[in-house]
Amino acid sequence: MGTVVTIDLYNQTEFSTAAASSHLARARTILQHADAVFSTWKPDSPISRLRRGEITCEQTPPEVAEVLEHCMIARGLSGGWFDPWAMPGGVDPTGYVKGWAAQKALAALVSTEIPGALVNAAGDIAGFGGPALGEPFRVGVIDPFSRGDLACIVQLVGAIATSGTYERGNHLIDPHSGRPSVRVASASVTGPDLGLADALATAAAIGGEEALALIEVIEGYEALIITFDRTWNWTSNFPFAD
Amino acid sequence: MKRAPIVISATVIGIAAVLSFHTKPASLTLGSLPGASATRSSTTTTLPAGAHSGQSSNGTSPPPTSSSTTTTRPSASRSATGAAVNYHYGILSVSVTASGRKITNVAIASLNDGGNFRSQSIDQQSIPILQQQAMQAQSANIQGVSGASYTSAGFQQSLQSALNQLGLS
Repeated sequence: MGTVVTIDLYNQTEFSTAAASSHLARARTILQHADAVFSTWKPDSPISRLRRGEITCEQTPPEVAEVLEHCMIARGLSGGWFDPWAMPGGVDPTGYVKGWAAQKALAALVSTEIPGALVNAAGDIAGFGGPALGEPFRVGVIDPFSRGDLACIVQLVGAIATSGTYERGNHLIDPHSGRPSVRVASASVTGPDLGLADALATAAAIGGEEALALIEVIEGYEALIITFDRTWNWTSNFPFAD
Repeated sequence: MKRAPIVISATVIGIAAVLSFHTKPASLTLGSLPGASATRSSTTTTLPAGAHSGQSSNGTSPPPTSSSTTTTRPSASRSATGAAVNYHYGILSVSVTASGRKITNVAIASLNDGGNFRSQSIDQQSIPILQQQAMQAQSANIQGVSGASYTSAGFQQSLQSALNQLGLS
């Protein structure tokens, strides 16, 4: 995956460093394992070998099949705007895996000792609890036209993923054409699962309003897109804070 | 009502990790965090396990104080610079600093973009930790920042190459 993940644990009172460390160690192991299996930047990772056709899916660790199955669901829900099978160089679940791994790492942190935690995989964030009792996390969405500023603040319910290139026609591959393409400057998706939110954010960045309409009907998921002409469009219950 | 959450942070890059602990009774102050004008006081020290950790206080009322500090165990710290890789707007290389098997810093080591104005923003986008810290510091009362990470192929390729050199892959 070749990315950076930060984990924040929140507690209001006494903090057991030892207990927190063991949870963090488990979360770290999950992330490292996901990187070892799914990194397309490591030539010997199972996903790289699968992409080159050296091994079949049956010969990969079981989580590869799990991830590909989830990717298939995400492809269906996104109307094909997210499609790991349409990537050049063979199946590439990267757009789902980062969020999936972060969500799994978050699950390892759930305990009575930790009232709040955030896992931030380079801007894709999953969390539970909040910074203080009864208070939700608030997450800023980067302004695609001024990356030192925030476009808005979101009340985190589960997870948020943001996709986009902040530059026209670069980086993301349109599965329908096989060419690099992006319709919006920034697409954010919130929902209970960061893996699916990640995939849907990619879909919304490429598919724009067409993808937004599809996300509108997915239960629990909301989306915000900011177009290159600075128009904002969002689904009916996007969790803006304030 | 008092609101002084204790925060523990950990950072993982590839297979390596950085831990930083934030608790209220901070007493260490050693140097400043590069690239980020953090507004919450924090200090960092090293865990026995080789992780990168520290203690800090999260301000009880906005705007919080304006200092941020970091220290690493110098004996175990080592760096490697990844291969220079062509990316969309030029050539870049990434450097990684590690303490034991834990990554403590990632930075752009070189960037030759032929004067392209985008270099600055790519530099920023490529260092999510610093960016996040800087932005969280600037905006009161948020705990995270969501944005498209510019994990360009060039950045990832050079990062991986630096990790390989450090035996961290």
